Amino acid sequence: MNPEYERHPIRSIADYALKGAVVLVFVFPFLWMISTSLQTFRETMAFPPTWIPASPQWTNFSHAMQAGPFLTYARNSIVVTASIIALQLLVMIPAAYAFAKYRFPGRNILFGLVLLAFMIPGQVTFIPVYLMLADWGLIKTLLPQILPFLSSAFGIFLLRQYFMQIPEEIIEAARLDNASEAKIVRRVMIPMSKPALATIALFSFVSHWNDYFWPLIMTDSNAVRPLTLGIAMLRETEGISNWHILMAGNVVLVVPILIVYLFCSQQIVKAFVYSGIK
Amino acid sequence: MANKIRGVLAATALMGVLAGCGGGNGNNAAPNDANQGASSSPSASASASASPSAEATGGGKTTVQFWHSLGGKNGEYMDALIKRFNDSHPDIEVVGTFQGGYDETVTKLQQAIASNTAPDVSMLERAYVQMFADSDVLEDMKPYLDKSGMSPDDFTAGLMGHSYFDNKLVSLPLNRSTPILHVNKTLLDAKGLSVPKTWDELKTAANALADKGKGQYGLTMPYDTWYQLAMITQAGGKFFNDDKTSVDFIDNGVGEKVFAYLKDLQNAGAFYYPPQQDSGNIVNKMFTEGKVAMMYQSTGSIGGLMEAVNFDYVTAFLPKDQEYANPTGGANVTILSGSKNKDAAWEFIRWMDTDPQGAQQFIVQSGYLPFTKAMVDSQEIKDLWAKEPNRKVAYDQLQYAVDTNMDVAWPEVMHEFFSAIEAIMYDSKDIKSTLATFKKEADRILNQ
Repeated sequence: MNPEYERHPIRSIADYALKGAVVLVFVFPFLWMISTSLQTFRETMAFPPTWIPASPQWTNFSHAMQAGPFLTYARNSIVVTASIIALQLLVMIPAAYAFAKYRFPGRNILFGLVLLAFMIPGQVTFIPVYLMLADWGLIKTLLPQILPFLSSAFGIFLLRQYFMQIPEEIIEAARLDNASEAKIVRRVMIPMSKPALATIALFSFVSHWNDYFWPLIMTDSNAVRPLTLGIAMLRETEGISNWHILMAGNVVLVVPILIVYLFCSQQIVKAFVYSGIK
Repeated sequence: MANKIRGVLAATALMGVLAGCGGGNGNNAAPNDANQGASSSPSASASASASPSAEATGGGKTTVQFWHSLGGKNGEYMDALIKRFNDSHPDIEVVGTFQGGYDETVTKLQQAIASNTAPDVSMLERAYVQMFADSDVLEDMKPYLDKSGMSPDDFTAGLMGHSYFDNKLVSLPLNRSTPILHVNKTLLDAKGLSVPKTWDELKTAANALADKGKGQYGLTMPYDTWYQLAMITQAGGKFFNDDKTSVDFIDNGVGEKVFAYLKDLQNAGAFYYPPQQDSGNIVNKMFTEGKVAMMYQSTGSIGGLMEAVNFDYVTAFLPKDQEYANPTGGANVTILSGSKNKDAAWEFIRWMDTDPQGAQQFIVQSGYLPFTKAMVDSQEIKDLWAKEPNRKVAYDQLQYAVDTNMDVAWPEVMHEFFSAIEAIMYDSKDIKSTLATFKKEADRILNQ
């Protein structure tokens, strides 16, 4: 680093101002959500907007949670998201390893097919997928929310790039020591790509935890529905929505994401830094 | 018109093959794990007990699946209604399930009908009734009505517009609403204005109430086709002609008059037209803040507004031009013809429509319009109206209810009409040529 550059006061002021602005843009909606979740109905309708509620309405949370079978929703969200992440890693690690380290005929075409198959958006496939799963009698289970996401092109792609950076020499050394391919994956590839795996798991977690469209289409009873649908149910179809109740529901939905992110953030930064340097 | 539901499916069938391949690639180890995760969970919960019994018809208790679109408070009122029914009917269990907003429920019904997972009874936004009826998937309820000694005349006439298709009674009103004029009377009184009854009075009042310095407007309405539809009929036009072969408000100049009226007010700063996204909430909020004195908005907002405002709030008929006229909205209830439990399904609807503990309670709680004559004559509704005259105005306006946009093709034409509204209200495109373009598109859709 250039010491001159570090010391220049205008630069560092501009630096902080810019960072502060970016933080504000991202944090502000969260703060507003939390503030609204603690307001009364009248406060949510007031103008100018209420920033800090006169007395925090903690009962909004119990009201939101009692509006439906939220324990069931929460359990479904957890089961679905955890299953997806576990299964995805199970499918993606060997796939990415093969695409990164094996030379076999048709490798590029197959890899292209993987990317292509997942570029078709869910909005195009949902009707045939639904018909197929309904035909198999699975609509009353959680499987329609899990099966279509056994793998993800984004994950295979990211992991393959990461695996490709792991030097061939390390793998050769392991092979010389008579390590099986499974063992190489388990003892070499996985430990060396923790940041990438954490990133993929987190992205997958966020997108499936927050998913609204797919579960809405694939479920028709409360027994198999996730939290997002429970929260959508707090919204009025016509008339004036109770934003304070709705936001209390949203806070409940978002908190697990923040917790998981806290655990993963270090690894994610690493993943992007590494793939940037190479 | 071709069978729409099948059409959608055919168009995406090819994609299904692709999706099947994509999902089937390399997942040998997976299904077992997924099964454990899934099967252990539904059985663990108490609420899951309802779903397995859905198929069991011989076990003494008949389960009726009922899909609806009511979230929030109204969803709670609907849950309470279903509970009252179940408590009073030991042999029938109605399972009510929220299926998203009106449009989402329609999508879900389309796919469910095609895959034989459709419910027995469903709420259906009234504008989609024709489309489903055209696909022959809605049961004719007239024989059931006769059997129960009821008559279509028991219902409020203004709300029956979407109930018939090919002389079959395919749906009955449930949670119905209508657009109405919401007025901040405190602001009007301050200027010595009375509540406008005609377009001219509305224009004068809106201009007088506008104050650019304070960022205050005279009139607003959500982004929707509803209010323009209302104005078209008020000015003596019809959305579709009687043969449903074309639109009937453009060649006669009615459309131009409606949009010019709104545009003049907008240009004068007296009329605020909100952005598309969340427009209903935006105008409600402006109204409660006193930033706009008058608002065209659904009767569904009355309850919430009464709770939120701290000024003298009244409702009034939508002002007339040639005549008073207003479309209706909200949803009907229907029995799917694929249902295996039609008698139990009908019993649920019959009970809702006739028992004082049925939909009448839901109407009182939610603020939707009473839809049978018995409800209107009930002491409960009379007491409610005495206490909240704003709701009575909404009902009284139904004598002028007219739906001129009823056709199988409406959902499709509606998209074109939205485009025209956007072009005129947001981009200030020439009214005449925009409407001419719209008519060409509408004619094409209607005659295909």
